[in-house]
Amino acid sequence: MHTIALIGNPNSGKTTLFNALTGTSAYVGNWPGVTVEKKEGMLNSHKILDLPGIYSLSPYSPEEQLSRRYILDEQPDLIIDVIDATNLERSLYLVTQLAELGCPLLLVLNMADLLEKEGITIDTKRLSQMTGSPVVIVSASKGTGINALKETIEQSLEEKYVALCPLFSNFVERYISHIIEDDYLHAIPQGRQMRWAAIKLIEEDELFLSSMPPLPDAFNTYLTKSRAELADHYDDDPEAIIIDQRYKVAEHIAKDCQIRKQKVKSFNFDSIATNRIAAIPLFILIMGAVFYLSIGLVGGYTTPILENLFGYLGGQVLTLSDTLGVHPLLSGILVDGIIAGVGAVLTFVPQLFILFLLLSILEDCGYMARIAFIMDRMMRTLGLSGKSIIPLVIGTGCSVPAIMSSRTIEHQKQRELTVIVTPFIPCGAKMPVFALMLTYFFPGQWYIAPLIYLLGIVAVIVTGLLAQAIDKHKETNAFILELPRYQLPTVKNVWLQTKERTLGFIIKAGTIILLSSVIIYLLSSYSFTLQTVDAERSMLAIMGRIIAPLFIPLGFGFWQASVALLTGIAAKETIVSTLSVTIGTTNLGSFFDPASALSFMTFILLSSPCIAAISAMFKELGSMRKLLYALLWQTGFAYVSALLVRYIVLLLI
Amino acid sequence: MMQMTMDELTVGQRGAIKAIHAPKQLKRRLMDMGFTKGVDIEVVKLAPMGDPIEVSVRGYHLCLRRAEARKIELS
Repeated sequence: MHTIALIGNPNSGKTTLFNALTGTSAYVGNWPGVTVEKKEGMLNSHKILDLPGIYSLSPYSPEEQLSRRYILDEQPDLIIDVIDATNLERSLYLVTQLAELGCPLLLVLNMADLLEKEGITIDTKRLSQMTGSPVVIVSASKGTGINALKETIEQSLEEKYVALCPLFSNFVERYISHIIEDDYLHAIPQGRQMRWAAIKLIEEDELFLSSMPPLPDAFNTYLTKSRAELADHYDDDPEAIIIDQRYKVAEHIAKDCQIRKQKVKSFNFDSIATNRIAAIPLFILIMGAVFYLSIGLVGGYTTPILENLFGYLGGQVLTLSDTLGVHPLLSGILVDGIIAGVGAVLTFVPQLFILFLLLSILEDCGYMARIAFIMDRMMRTLGLSGKSIIPLVIGTGCSVPAIMSSRTIEHQKQRELTVIVTPFIPCGAKMPVFALMLTYFFPGQWYIAPLIYLLGIVAVIVTGLLAQAIDKHKETNAFILELPRYQLPTVKNVWLQTKERTLGFIIKAGTIILLSSVIIYLLSSYSFTLQTVDAERSMLAIMGRIIAPLFIPLGFGFWQASVALLTGIAAKETIVSTLSVTIGTTNLGSFFDPASALSFMTFILLSSPCIAAISAMFKELGSMRKLLYALLWQTGFAYVSALLVRYIVLLLI
Repeated sequence: MMQMTMDELTVGQRGAIKAIHAPKQLKRRLMDMGFTKGVDIEVVKLAPMGDPIEVSVRGYHLCLRRAEARKIELS
């Protein structure tokens, strides 16, 4: 079996090509627990890997490090570099780096369908000659050229073409060949290319140096001298000189292989989307439309239908088991445990499906980068980056992919702050809880639901401002982001992503929530001596009573609420099923009042997220200590806010 | 002589890059994105609050903050 790595610039259509090559069946989801960094699929019994999109193999951002480490350590049998054909020059810059790694390389010119529109023609034969790699031209979104690509992949795996390393100026080349001749480089680990290693030595690449045996003194002196001479000659630092040389090669190849005609100016959606006046209102309008369509329109229609359906189903099963003489324990588990618990969660599938669908359309069309562009100034005052807005928007669907998407934020502090505030945005799984409480206590009062979102946003703002205030070393940090061309979302990409996220939700309902519903039912029906007792004296009640006093100030110091919060750590939807098992959804009024209902919702909104999101946070924060601080902050903030909300409401009523 | 930096350009103005005066990591990032010596750039648009700015370089568009643009010297 061969291993093929798919690499390329962000927005080069890499994932679309990955999907076109592997087909839907081979898709490995990036739902909790499964690696998101690289996706794996199969093509004709070859393993094919989708690596994160990168501009360079420089060791600075986490994605770049991951891709670089993968290629260097795992030595794939073939690297496929996906190139946005309308952006040849910059893409060739990455080619000049990949060519040095010693793996066979295959160049795929993607977005063939756009070339004509952009007035570009590319001589693929010439490009292939100049790079020493096969070149295939495809349109991944239209599906053209895919068969030819598959053939070329097989051919490349057999023939193992060697890519041509870019040649730099004579002045630089002289140093490279001197360094290669030194004995030191003959000791480098197998599979690493001498020329590549020599260039890394000139650049003083720390990641590379740390993987090598210590430099002998004489050689080190020679390197230092060479770097000084290069710096002197080019009036720049060695790292910059190499980048400059690479871009010169890229320019040269692009000039030789491509003809660009002046393209006709046509209407551009960007003239509204990033218009200085219209941009922000348009963003608010689009997000409003997303929520209205999913939660308001679709949710409003399907929720009552599904609720009735599950209610009817429960009733039927109960009648049936009574006539069959099934043990009340078993029918209780079935009806009050599984059907009530799982049903309460499944009710939300249609509206979440629409929400995930709309969000993935936004992600696929290129609008997200514009949101980052227009919102950067505002986010900066909060110590965040424009890119932080992307996790916050995705977070309205689910915090897990949202937290993961924060990885594109280069600056560590901004990235960590983004990870901490993302769970404040109410995710789809918290919706059932809010819906349950709101329809019971505030029927017809439509303005409360938007207030919950607003409260989440306020929490983000307060955390950001506070973090800014206590941050002693204010570092200047960068915000550099490509604004890709708008494109029509491909049906396949949108469908795959929506399906994956919706399935994740359904799978949770069928596993975690099903299991916890059964356990909760059992714990609430038995005492520690395994006697059937009423809920008040059950095991669950006793456990809940231990922590319940903590919540007396918040107005929900009874064991049912505490137990619901505890089970919510598994998945927030479980709160609904727990309440429906322990209290019953029609009986909420005898436990909560409007003030404590609101404080309960506030606490759920802001306190630490579910276990899947916690593990995503851990992964991105990278340390247990930071994670604990984050969870403590979230839960502490939730407690104080809930307290405030309760007393404000009590004052108002 | 006064040095011209990228943040001084108004929308529609062009310039050629002369040097980047930034810490190693930021300089590398900017150069990786194609801001190398002698390259022509054009300021395309400003964000709603005048910052960040959208720039066209090597046939594609990217945005960066004024603070970063100030570190890019033009000739």
